[in-house]
Amino acid sequence: MAGMCCGVVGETKTQSTVEPSGGRQGRRRRMEIQQLKFLAAAASDVVMPPPDGSRKRRKVESIETIENTGDDIALSSDMKLVEVGPCGRGACGTSSETLGDDVLDMENSRFGLTVVCGRRRDLEDAVAVKPSFCRTSSRSSEDLHFYGVYDGHGCSHVAMKCKDRMHEIVKEEVENCEKSMDWKETMVNSFSRMDKDITEWSNSASRSNCRCELQTPQCDAVGSTAVVAVVTPERIVVSNCGDSRAVLCRNGVAIPLSVDHKPDRPDELERIEEAGGRVIYWDGARVLGVLAMSRAIGDNYLKPYVIPEPEVTVTERTAEDECLILASDGLWDVVSNDVACSVARMCLSSHEVPSPPRSPGSDLNVARGESSDKACSDASVLLTKLALARRSTDNVSVVVVDLRRNL
Amino acid sequence: MSVRPNSTAFMAQAMHVDNPHRETFHKFFECWISEQNSYLEDLVSAANNHNQTGNDDAVLVPLIERVIRHYEQYYRAKSNWENRDAVSMFSPTWRSKLEDAFLWIGGWRPTLAIHLLYSKSGIQVEAKLGDLIRGLTTGDLGDLTPNQIKRIDELQKNTINEERVLSEKLAKEQEAVADSSMVELSNAVSEMIRNETGGDDSENEKKVDSMLDSKNNKLEELLHMADDLRLKTLKAVVEILTPIQTVYFLIAAAELHLRLHEWGKKRDANVAESIGGAHTNDSNLHVHDVTV
Repeated sequence: MAGMCCGVVGETKTQSTVEPSGGRQGRRRRMEIQQLKFLAAAASDVVMPPPDGSRKRRKVESIETIENTGDDIALSSDMKLVEVGPCGRGACGTSSETLGDDVLDMENSRFGLTVVCGRRRDLEDAVAVKPSFCRTSSRSSEDLHFYGVYDGHGCSHVAMKCKDRMHEIVKEEVENCEKSMDWKETMVNSFSRMDKDITEWSNSASRSNCRCELQTPQCDAVGSTAVVAVVTPERIVVSNCGDSRAVLCRNGVAIPLSVDHKPDRPDELERIEEAGGRVIYWDGARVLGVLAMSRAIGDNYLKPYVIPEPEVTVTERTAEDECLILASDGLWDVVSNDVACSVARMCLSSHEVPSPPRSPGSDLNVARGESSDKACSDASVLLTKLALARRSTDNVSVVVVDLRRNL
Repeated sequence: MSVRPNSTAFMAQAMHVDNPHRETFHKFFECWISEQNSYLEDLVSAANNHNQTGNDDAVLVPLIERVIRHYEQYYRAKSNWENRDAVSMFSPTWRSKLEDAFLWIGGWRPTLAIHLLYSKSGIQVEAKLGDLIRGLTTGDLGDLTPNQIKRIDELQKNTINEERVLSEKLAKEQEAVADSSMVELSNAVSEMIRNETGGDDSENEKKVDSMLDSKNNKLEELLHMADDLRLKTLKAVVEILTPIQTVYFLIAAAELHLRLHEWGKKRDANVAESIGGAHTNDSNLHVHDVTV
């Protein structure tokens, strides 16, 4: 599945150009086309801290767009699902609604994502992007965004299940947090619940569509990596299990927010051996000579050597943060953190030139915000193309999240 | 300009002449690849003369259409020969052993088109990465847009699924070689030979013929389906690409096809030479006769 979608913020000028089928001219156009089937439009008045001390409203609308299905986007109660037909720029798909001043900190999610099968015959990667998937219940209600990349092995069903469930579990865990948030505990619990869900599900469910059906009755040899980023207004919480990776671009510098779980990582090797397992070099370091990562969701037959416990990093956001890249090893095997970071940030900055005003009322902020989603989408596609160019033999999944503030 | 060998004329003539089928398709194939070679030159010069700023689709589109028609012509001819003699189309004498080894149901594997596209695009991405990062267009396969990538990925998935369906059908036919009627009949004929009973030979012969005919028909059907998928995939890729991207894709396709053919032929010749050298007494014999 090639999922491609993006988040947009700004005065709504959503393009929803439907490509004319077959027409050469249509095909030739430099395509910025997103064929939008559904458009989830959330509108709220957001209170910005005004420079002059008075509280002034600025209308911010958030549009999440997605191809083919609307279900990748978590619709919160203040969002409306709007179906949009073919229409020109700036004329459709908006809805607005006024919320009270109690919404204090609402930052929209701007992202681009690409998932391709690449040079594999099976797609085992899955990506979940859930803007505004939940709010903290604490005093200062914060809007949280969820980004997850899952790279399955053995079959795709564990990765797919993570895609469907993980954000719901995290949401429950966050909402159950009564006092101050302990992100590490929250995320460790979430991953553990996700893993239990998989075990229960694979023991009970009928999986008619699964490739793994014939392998083992319990599908014990199936698992998935999981790298999950929860982005709050103040911090980035990255939880990782396996060899997918999250990298932060801050002022041009690539900062990995997760460390791959490879069986030959000294601390992981020690942990595996203490648990009675062995790492055997068989086409690279593998747990029991089988799995080339030391942590994963699923993989019951390799427990307790392979565990679903994530390593969690909590990073305070700064004004210098540019973007966050989450990707499967289809990217990281062939593109270094530094290269990915510079490609992504240059894509973002090349879109900084404000578009000419299209209608009264569109201002610089709006123009930049709007192009930001395209920039993210271009960045994720370019990174994917680069991975394929560098002979990546795996599925490639890339999510690029714009972290720049005050666009 | 030298006169091109004309595969269309050749085919029209050949289909009416009672030639041995393999032989004629072999000749048709040689005509066809020499035509492919000159189309390749046309494509390369179109790409070289391509002007990114001006719109030269009027030049590119007719050329692309001609090249696609040339592929269609190939599959029409192949289909005709498949109707005549499906089984021999599975062991093409017109291809080198190297090509033969990579064949899937009598031709190239349809997903090869996607891999070719990814590889060629990748080379062009790397060559102009700096431009792409700055948001500039490269005017070639480096420019694949998000929407194109998405459509290619969908095409790949569909093609893989269709390949799997056909591979399963082939597996079924291959397994059916040992089905009950084949085993029963092979036993009956063996018994007859063993006992020299002089039973009704012609009856069994009829049975054998009808059984092998039905297998032949199934293989023929499979070849048609595989060829359809090949052509369909090729056209689907072209449908996704812009004209100039299509030109680059068709160049890559022709170059790979022609060079692989050449390399294979060369290897075959080398092998023939070394075997010939080892059997100096038989040096005047054909390789096949020596190795049998």
